[in-house]
Amino acid sequence: MEAPVFFLALVFGIHIVAVNVGIALATLVPILKRRAELSGDARLAETARGLFRIYAATYGLAGVMGTAFTVFLLSFYPEFVGVAGNIAMIPFGIAIVAIVLHFFAIVAYWYGWDAFSPTAHFYAGVLLALTAYLIPLGFRAVFAFLNTPAGLSFDGKPWLDVAKALANPTFLPLYLKSVVGALTLGFLFVSAVLAVKGLRGGGLSGVEEDLYRDGLKWGTAGLLAMAFLGAWYTVSLTNTPIKFNNIFKGLGWAVQGVERLSDYSWLFAVKMLLVLAQAHILLRLTVFKPAEASTRAGYLGSIYAATAAALTVLTGEYLNAFSQYPFFVANLPLITSSVPEPWRTILGRSLDLRNVSPLALDPALYAVTAVGLLALLAAAGYFLYVVFLKSE
Amino acid sequence: MGLLEQWLSYPAAWDRILSIIGIEIHWLILQYVLGLPLMVLVALLAYRRSGDARWERMARTMTKALGLVFAVGAATGTASEFGLVVVWPNLLEAAGRYIYYPLYLEIFAFLTEIVFIYLLVFGWSKLSVNAKIAVAFLAMFGAWFSGAMITSVNSYMVAPTGIVAAYDPLTGWKYDQGYPKVLLVVPKDIVGALDVGKLQSLGMEVVGDTGQGVAVLMPSKIVARLAAEAWGGVRVRDSVLKLVVKPEALGAVGDLLVKDVVDKILVLTVQTVGYTTVTFQSPVYPGTLVHSIGAGVTVTAFTILGAYALLLIKSRDEKSRDYYMLGLKFGVVASLVAIVLQGAVFGHVMGEEIAKYNPEKLAAMEGTSSSILSVSRMLGLEKLMPLIAYGSLEAKLPSYDAIPADYCTLLGVPGVSDCRPPLMIHYLYYAKIGLAVLLGLYALLLAFLLYRRASLPGWVLWAGALSPVAAQLVSFLGWAVREMGRKPWSIYGVMTVDVAHTMNPADPLAYVLVALLFLGTLAGLIYAAFKVLYEPSVKG
Repeated sequence: MEAPVFFLALVFGIHIVAVNVGIALATLVPILKRRAELSGDARLAETARGLFRIYAATYGLAGVMGTAFTVFLLSFYPEFVGVAGNIAMIPFGIAIVAIVLHFFAIVAYWYGWDAFSPTAHFYAGVLLALTAYLIPLGFRAVFAFLNTPAGLSFDGKPWLDVAKALANPTFLPLYLKSVVGALTLGFLFVSAVLAVKGLRGGGLSGVEEDLYRDGLKWGTAGLLAMAFLGAWYTVSLTNTPIKFNNIFKGLGWAVQGVERLSDYSWLFAVKMLLVLAQAHILLRLTVFKPAEASTRAGYLGSIYAATAAALTVLTGEYLNAFSQYPFFVANLPLITSSVPEPWRTILGRSLDLRNVSPLALDPALYAVTAVGLLALLAAAGYFLYVVFLKSE
Repeated sequence: MGLLEQWLSYPAAWDRILSIIGIEIHWLILQYVLGLPLMVLVALLAYRRSGDARWERMARTMTKALGLVFAVGAATGTASEFGLVVVWPNLLEAAGRYIYYPLYLEIFAFLTEIVFIYLLVFGWSKLSVNAKIAVAFLAMFGAWFSGAMITSVNSYMVAPTGIVAAYDPLTGWKYDQGYPKVLLVVPKDIVGALDVGKLQSLGMEVVGDTGQGVAVLMPSKIVARLAAEAWGGVRVRDSVLKLVVKPEALGAVGDLLVKDVVDKILVLTVQTVGYTTVTFQSPVYPGTLVHSIGAGVTVTAFTILGAYALLLIKSRDEKSRDYYMLGLKFGVVASLVAIVLQGAVFGHVMGEEIAKYNPEKLAAMEGTSSSILSVSRMLGLEKLMPLIAYGSLEAKLPSYDAIPADYCTLLGVPGVSDCRPPLMIHYLYYAKIGLAVLLGLYALLLAFLLYRRASLPGWVLWAGALSPVAAQLVSFLGWAVREMGRKPWSIYGVMTVDVAHTMNPADPLAYVLVALLFLGTLAGLIYAAFKVLYEPSVKG
């Protein structure tokens, strides 16, 4: 596999985990804040504010890594970016509008915490939550297109039939799986944050204890929902037979008559093991031994469950991305013959991940990137330490 | 043809209008990201030296403002980045293929910014003064590093490395010799397939042998046509190249995409120049860099001046008047230093670069056309300007009317009907200069009054309160002249706007909605600054 793919995977992995946590916190914080206002519960309001502070930091990290991903993509695969930019204005447009509104909502929600009226602040929170779901709507439409390019049309130039693109069989299951997965991770993340507090001996207040247990319960429900949504997405991938076979042929399932280009069944197995680990911990803490949840073992279990959930998101995204290697569009070999020239030639090479821009093949560039990323991630770690752990 | 009509007549008008709104709003905000870390750093140094708590209070307030503008600036920056992808995909692809390195480094600059700006904002109460000074310096480094990378790419678009413009101040325009020309390195296998005699008749000049290729000065009308064909999916047999390919080689190369030929030439050119340095060698880069950072510092300085002037007018907190006065003095000194440097030094350097490398733009800026009322002519500056621009009284300003309307096209390709820059930039440029002079005089007057410890009349403070708007307007006009004055080029001498923009533009209504979104974000930022910075300060 090409070195640029690993840089893309590194920043994308950090981005996607942070974004998933963000989607959940952007939903939960406004709800908790509203509940706190309606019940007059100052502790709950303070907890919500603490979670929002974490959200602001994770979103900053997600934003930087998202930008890094875009720039890496542009630098290593410029022709792909050119092709994508020419045809994907609508799905990218949805994401762009949502990103701007979401950033704006974060700023308004953060700075307006005590400055805005409760109603105005609540509506800022509604905007925050709504836009958190709109951003992946645009990007998942793009990802579904990368599975199978539904809506790609030609009339002397390539263009996108948006209605057909949104009817992509992999779009809806992918989108729903993504947001439910994000919520599941988010619920477990909140429980883990509170578990850390419990472990540090701070003791959880009543409202925090409720939130901790609710996080575990909703995380369990989310995991159950993911079993169905995962299956739906898997079935939809039969429309992307090369990708389907790259994941499942090693496990004995395959779409017949289609070649397998790689084998990522092992990554699917890792993901399933992580899911099983979560299920084991969560069922123990919520169903079989709920009294254990607020003990040291329970707190540790919650942290393990959240870590496993984050790794599940990560492996799931890597599985989705790597299983179409070496092509940006998984179905490319199957659709090439229907693409008119010269676009067949242009798409054939611009959608091939092995075609790294010749000017970006310098090993010195990769060395600089690795060192630079390490230094800056260390600086980011120091930032998180100062903001969240260092005393005044 | 009216001035506005001329500007709108270039291709992709809606795309250009949307880009002006989006990028200008981003620029308006990020100038503070360039300027505020420096101001925080100076205030913190003053605090460490004097122990005067007012300096720390000022640094803290400016840091809060920095956190706010950085967050919204990141949002508009992300939107602008995606806007470039979907509105100007071919331009972005070209940038990604050949001049990606500064954009690549921009990631690290952005990471540096976000880590240290937010460390300063959120870690303020947990850091010692020395640590804050170090962090403020690193935040400034990140912001300026980022600015240095982006402006290098923009400089390349204004004057690509190796460009030879079509004007000699002593002899006049050189379009009849095929200028402007771009220095390119053509791989030897391509050279071998071409009829050199025919190429020379088109104005190609061989400069030398680089080993792997032959360095040539290629007329930009050929380069622009090849760029149009490359991004239009044309093959060599249907291209203008067919005219210069040896008949015996046509069979072998006829099926190649023009893009592949262009790609080989540009890749070898960039490899020869150095992929890490190619944009930094743009001849207009030094002026662009200092003038851009200077703009950020100037706007920030006037905003500080304006903020404290407004507080002196409006605040009911009498205890803080000393602090407001200190802030006003700081703003005045910073504004005066910044605007003098920006106008007399940085602006002059950039002006000389424009005169040498973008003569068509200079002709439009100076309004050297008989079809408009020229401010320059009216003020009798026409004899002085050649001395300022070219350092010689013998020199002549380039005549706008002598620019051929079709100098950037070859046999009607690219599809641009007027290759001359829009004349409306003449008025934008002189409005900018006039306003900048007024701002400089105002800062001088205020400095004089403060030095003499004279009382400040109400109108002087009100003028100060409005000065940030004027400074932003000056900056906007400067940016507009730079960007609009490059039309119809997206990359001067290489790619025109019709080639750069998307082949599937959206409905104008969608553009209007996105533009309104940008404007709404700006309004939101102003409201947030009002609630978070202004209101608490006024209440005391």
